[in-house]
Amino acid sequence: MMKVVTGVVGNDIHVVANRLIDISLQERGFEVFNLGVNTYLEEFIDAVIETDAKVLLISSLNGEAEGWCRDLSLLKSQYELEGVVFMIGGNLSVGEDNPDVIIPKFKRYGFDLVFHQSDLGIGLDTLEAYLKEHV
Amino acid sequence: MSLLQRDRDIIVSNEYVDHFDFDEVESFIRGASKNLFISHAFKNNKGKTLVQPRGGFPTYDKVFALYKEFKAANVDVLPLTIDSNTRLNDYAMAKKMLALSEENDVNMLNGYPLVNQGYRTTRKMMVHYDTPVSLRHGTPDARLLIEMALASGIFEIEGGPLTYLLPYSKNFPLDKAFLYWKYVERVCALYSTLNEPINRESFGPLSATLQPPAIVIVIQIIEMLLSLEEGVKSFSVSFSQTGSVMQDIVTANVLKKLSRHYAKQFGYGDAQIHLVYHQWMGAFPRNKNRSDSLITTATVIAAMVEADKIITKTRDEAFGIPTKEANAQAVDCVQYTLAMLRGVPKISDEAEEENLTLQVNEILEALFNDSADTLWRKAFNAIKAGYIEIPFSPHIINANEVITVRDDEGSIRIYNKGKLPLSERSFAFDRDKIRIPEGHSVVDKIIHDIGVML
Repeated sequence: MMKVVTGVVGNDIHVVANRLIDISLQERGFEVFNLGVNTYLEEFIDAVIETDAKVLLISSLNGEAEGWCRDLSLLKSQYELEGVVFMIGGNLSVGEDNPDVIIPKFKRYGFDLVFHQSDLGIGLDTLEAYLKEHV
Repeated sequence: MSLLQRDRDIIVSNEYVDHFDFDEVESFIRGASKNLFISHAFKNNKGKTLVQPRGGFPTYDKVFALYKEFKAANVDVLPLTIDSNTRLNDYAMAKKMLALSEENDVNMLNGYPLVNQGYRTTRKMMVHYDTPVSLRHGTPDARLLIEMALASGIFEIEGGPLTYLLPYSKNFPLDKAFLYWKYVERVCALYSTLNEPINRESFGPLSATLQPPAIVIVIQIIEMLLSLEEGVKSFSVSFSQTGSVMQDIVTANVLKKLSRHYAKQFGYGDAQIHLVYHQWMGAFPRNKNRSDSLITTATVIAAMVEADKIITKTRDEAFGIPTKEANAQAVDCVQYTLAMLRGVPKISDEAEEENLTLQVNEILEALFNDSADTLWRKAFNAIKAGYIEIPFSPHIINANEVITVRDDEGSIRIYNKGKLPLSERSFAFDRDKIRIPEGHSVVDKIIHDIGVML
């Protein structure tokens, strides 16, 4: 079973979406390590290393993800994280809602897959297709 | 000096508390007006559902104005909702935000910072309105807060170690929550001997998202017993509108019957047990006409189940904190509806009641059979083992295995029972009623069922 670490980044207590992601991933046959709400980026990286997960799926609903995820490339450079797929989804900004601006920005931070205000099912379909192609 | 009093001295010796005078507080409670006690109102309001809105502002003046509006709308019980900094015991931040709120006439807090306001100030307002007030918070460590509330003349305390932890916190230790709430119960019990009893109320809505009635009732009974075993004499069990009229009526009947049954079985038959009904706690429609309809339907249900108290919502729920006018309007409408609904015939569904009773008894039996020496340790072990969990809790101790969805009639059913100690029979009763539409995943169904009132 492919391992996935997931959780909600920053000071964000939106537990419903987090739980739905957890159930969806399990339904699709992943082994899920759910760190829950209010999780810091460093904790995600620690969990990926500890569990040897192949996917890190971060979600964010309160729009504050950017501030919490800027350091992803820095952390990626400090640890051996080759082959790990980095994915983020949810509501990724407070004011700006143009995906053509937001998605490239998060890709520059080091995410392979970025989903802004899109359907959970579509996001996970894309993840599975991406994994088939790359892993 | 008793151990409890030694604890209390330490709790009130806080840099944000201006000299707490235990003797003065005791004589205030001893001589307090009966009208401040909701336990007194319950006794003298036989048959009438008391109406309580929600609300709280940072400054004294704004709460005073809110109460004035509520009184004009014929409110029965006033709320005092506490701000989120105080709930997390961050009195320094609450102090700063209170000062900013007072200087600039903006609300920098989402409730009333009772510790910073102090009991001498707050009591003036309570005595002025001479109406029962209910403390609404969400605090795992409410020791100082409830000292302040009781000293202010607020004689109903909401919450409990499970209902104020599992839906609100990610990692506040559950064992500490049990012990901090034990303090709360003991102080409430102590003051209950001076005048009318202090009423404790549990918070049945939990995470307000597809909560199965069996779990709600189990948690209500545990918190009730934890409170009664410390000497509390007046307790309210509660739940929120499920989205199914049938399920609300069945839940109310079983909750009433079993809470009294277990209180008696544990030797607390002399305690007064009340039923509180929360209007819809999930996501509200943005269409205000529909909100009105939802609120009125909830009021009809409260009358049908003969709730002792109803806690109201407003037509502005989808848009944030309501104005005091909108809030008072809701109170007026609910009172008007209730007045039409006296003497509603009793209905129920025997098979549903029987199965829900069975589910609750099965879970409680597993808990009571735990080898730990005290009830709170048994409850702690049951939650750690996943015998009790609530859907959609942010807390790390919650097992997160139970999945619930609605059946075709809108009732919440257990789809995956996780580690809940339910028999095949009582689980199958729920499971067999679930129908996931062709081409839909369970998650699609859950998303649909959460938003059922939108």
